[in-house]
Amino acid sequence: MQLLAPTRAEEAIAALLDGPEGRVAVLAGGTDLLLDLDEGKSSPEVLLSLHRLPWRELTWEAERLEIGATLPLAQLEQDPELARRIPGLHEAVGAIGGVALRHQATLGGNLVRASPVSDLIPILLALECEVGLLGSGGERSLPLEQFLLGPRRTALQRGELVRRVWVPALPSAFRWQRVRPANDVSQISVAVAFAPKEERWRIATAGVAPLARRAKAAEAILRGPSPGEEAIAAAGASAAEEAEVRQDRRATDAYRRHLLRTLVLRAIRAVATGVGGQPA
Amino acid sequence: MIRSDARLKARGALEFGVDLDAPGALHGVLIRSPVAHGRLRRVDLDRVRSAPGVVCAIGHAELAELLPSGRGATAHPAFPAAELRYRGEPIAAVAARSLAEARWAAARAHLEIEPLPIFAQIEDVFPDWPGAGEGESEHVNAHVLARQGDVEGAFARADRVVRGKYRTAGIVQMPLEPHACLARVDGETWHVQSSTQSPFGAREDTSAILGIPEEQVVVEASWVGGGFGGKGAGLLEPYALLLAAAARRPVKLQLSYAEEFELSRSTLPSIIWVESALAGDRILGRRVRLLLDTGASLPGRDFATGYAIGFIAGPYRIGAVELEGYAVKTNKPPFGPHRAPFAPQCVFAGESHTDEIARAAGWDPLEFRERTGWREGDETPLGQKVGPFGLQEALERARAIRERWKKELPAGTGLGLAVGFWSTGTSAGGEVLLRLTPSELVVETVEAEIGSGSVIRGLVAVAEEVTGLPREAIRIGRTDTARGPYDAGVYGSRTLGALGNAVGDAGTKLLQELARRIPGRGELRLEVIGGSCVAVRNGSRVTVASLLTDSERATGGVLARGRHYGRGGEILAERVLTGGFYAYTDFTAAVHLAAVSVDRETGQVRVLRYAAIADAGRVVDPPTYRAQVEGGVAMGLGEALTEETLWNASAELQNPGLLDYRVPTILEVPPIEVEVVEGFLGAGPGGAKGGGEPPVIPVPGAVANAVADATGARVRELPLTPERVARALKLL
Repeated sequence: MQLLAPTRAEEAIAALLDGPEGRVAVLAGGTDLLLDLDEGKSSPEVLLSLHRLPWRELTWEAERLEIGATLPLAQLEQDPELARRIPGLHEAVGAIGGVALRHQATLGGNLVRASPVSDLIPILLALECEVGLLGSGGERSLPLEQFLLGPRRTALQRGELVRRVWVPALPSAFRWQRVRPANDVSQISVAVAFAPKEERWRIATAGVAPLARRAKAAEAILRGPSPGEEAIAAAGASAAEEAEVRQDRRATDAYRRHLLRTLVLRAIRAVATGVGGQPA
Repeated sequence: MIRSDARLKARGALEFGVDLDAPGALHGVLIRSPVAHGRLRRVDLDRVRSAPGVVCAIGHAELAELLPSGRGATAHPAFPAAELRYRGEPIAAVAARSLAEARWAAARAHLEIEPLPIFAQIEDVFPDWPGAGEGESEHVNAHVLARQGDVEGAFARADRVVRGKYRTAGIVQMPLEPHACLARVDGETWHVQSSTQSPFGAREDTSAILGIPEEQVVVEASWVGGGFGGKGAGLLEPYALLLAAAARRPVKLQLSYAEEFELSRSTLPSIIWVESALAGDRILGRRVRLLLDTGASLPGRDFATGYAIGFIAGPYRIGAVELEGYAVKTNKPPFGPHRAPFAPQCVFAGESHTDEIARAAGWDPLEFRERTGWREGDETPLGQKVGPFGLQEALERARAIRERWKKELPAGTGLGLAVGFWSTGTSAGGEVLLRLTPSELVVETVEAEIGSGSVIRGLVAVAEEVTGLPREAIRIGRTDTARGPYDAGVYGSRTLGALGNAVGDAGTKLLQELARRIPGRGELRLEVIGGSCVAVRNGSRVTVASLLTDSERATGGVLARGRHYGRGGEILAERVLTGGFYAYTDFTAAVHLAAVSVDRETGQVRVLRYAAIADAGRVVDPPTYRAQVEGGVAMGLGEALTEETLWNASAELQNPGLLDYRVPTILEVPPIEVEVVEGFLGAGPGGAKGGGEPPVIPVPGAVANAVADATGARVRELPLTPERVARALKLL
């Protein structure tokens, strides 16, 4: 296996295009990919590391945050503005893995790997992020929902890399449930965001089959910045109902459905009341 | 004060089993059974042997030529001839130049296996508690039954009967360092360095498996990166030695983490029934029934059923008791010891039941335990007299802590109490050699430090006390089973007790020998002046260097051998109706309090505070003792809340990794208050009782009782995962 670590974007793109098709693995933080390599699930001929590319931007714009693809999550978590301006993203980033893992893992890697158990994808879906994709012809952008095609499948084309993500700054919340609170895979995670201009609520859930997704029927039930308890309860019930809940060794489908309803309620309430933070 | 191994460990400067290496050493990999039960029709290793880098591959067929003539035919050879009893059972082994090559080659073995019916769970053998006569089964490894008093009469006379059925999960020891060893064969000597808790135990097991006399097997311990009971028996040593014999080169053999989960003998699931006959607040009678999954353990290897079952009856005054249990044979890997083997599970059942009795009657669970708890001189169900036992004083301390917590913690917090007891005596004995040189005292032992501090700190502390030397002048000198004195092993909370007494014995003899060389009467002590050991008597100081004989100067110092083989307990034979029961030695209490909050919508339990009160006898080294209690609590919290091996209907382990086998992180471990009760003396140095195992025992019971206190919901199955708690709360 050959390891490449280019310092310029063009070299990285060229390596993707020149390498044997389907045999180049892109390495960002490696927290997911290295497990596959270790277990023999993946045996690429070329490992293309992005760690020397200057892609670690964290730039606040008027109404959104631009995050470079290889910015370690720990640096995102430590941004002093994040908790106030995008509370749901702050909660989600702080809930991922352990401290050591967050110093390694990246936002770009998380999106490209499109893991069904990613805790970041639901909040990014709820916030309606845009993904910037860089190829030999330049950069294009896609809404995240169109970027994610399924578990482990994205709209990335040959010769493209995720370059950055734009995250709208919105009132938002993230809630999760795990067997062990720290450093575990979530049984269910729920993200909720509210877009004041459009007066639109957005709900996304993970831990349901097959990949994190929006709960659009539930979203439609909510109106205005302070939906009543009745509407919130109906949205929770709807989200639990419309989800394709799976059963595996981490939870039964009945428990997942129960959690989904409970956590959707909690997340909506948190956004509606402006109270952030999963209670310890 | 910093422990002498701390800096070395922080720098990675110590050689653990996984670090062992030798020039030209090959890497071994085990070829393991893909099914949990089957008959081996053919093992073809040709494609393994032809793989790149492979030096040798061996299976049952090769045993006869590798072992000295007539030696290979042992009762339980390293590789099975025909029947495969559990998934992952080693069928063959390969040694190659690199680990990657060995792994790649191992996957090329051609195995023909005829599948046989798989008994994956206890229920596959016994769907319910077997009625009279139904327990006769080839799937029973042991049946134990003991009775004291008129149990039927007690239930007939009772005002009330309280019953509970409890389930416990399989758990693994999960040391940071997996099993690892390095083997070589020099002529007639089969030499192995190993990450082991018991060099002599590993020697005995290796000798039995290979059919080689014990004297020809030499075991040398490396530093051990955690054992927790999993490294107390021979496991990898026979395979590594066979590979080394076949390759005529040293062979390193080490388990991957996934293999560690499957091969390290540990605790398997159980089903426990407890019922008590009550009249007022007296327990007239109790029946305890246990179905313990012992996996593919061999008959005669069951140590748990007849031992652990007594812990379910609890340290309580009970009029009449019946204890009955079956060691159930399944096609899981064999059962094995895990820090206080099977006691946290037994005590979870017993202490949940005790709380259920108290709560149903509206009594304070703590007062109920005070009224019924053993005091010295009480009698166990098997007729042993209870020795010095700190239970009552520990309960008093627990009461004070509980009252303080009630003031400090918010309403809705659940408080749970559990009482554990354990037998920590010194009946498994051992010996040490002390060597006093002009500049230091060396404690020569075969035992390695496994992390608890019992060797590197405990034995040194005893040597300090007996000789007067400062710890800086005392060193553990590790040796092997060919040169070193016998010791049973670093397990069973017996190291400080038995081996510590041996150090005390040797130290006393050493001072006596020096006293013969210095005229006078007064007490003799040792001290260090300017880097030299000095004997002090009647105010006069003599350097040890000047006291040595010529031969001592040549061999390195004054030697003194110490030994301790403690007494065991005795049970009344007439109480035992069937099977093997064991006596307890030092009765050691552990009283724990847990404070929890429970999310009533999700079932998530958070432990807010924890208090552990230990019946220590005498504390020899306070920081080490405290660390053992804290570590035991942390380990017990995993057993209480998150740790569980998951097996499917094919007896295949579903979660052999740290992602889905969840040990606690530091964020799950709350502040732990440790209190020590001293004065109820045990058989160790100055009355010390063993401290390693007791602190893990009450934890699942204390947490379960706290959850019941917070919510009124009783979870009768370990671990208390959020989903189980949610079901008990009737959320699903």
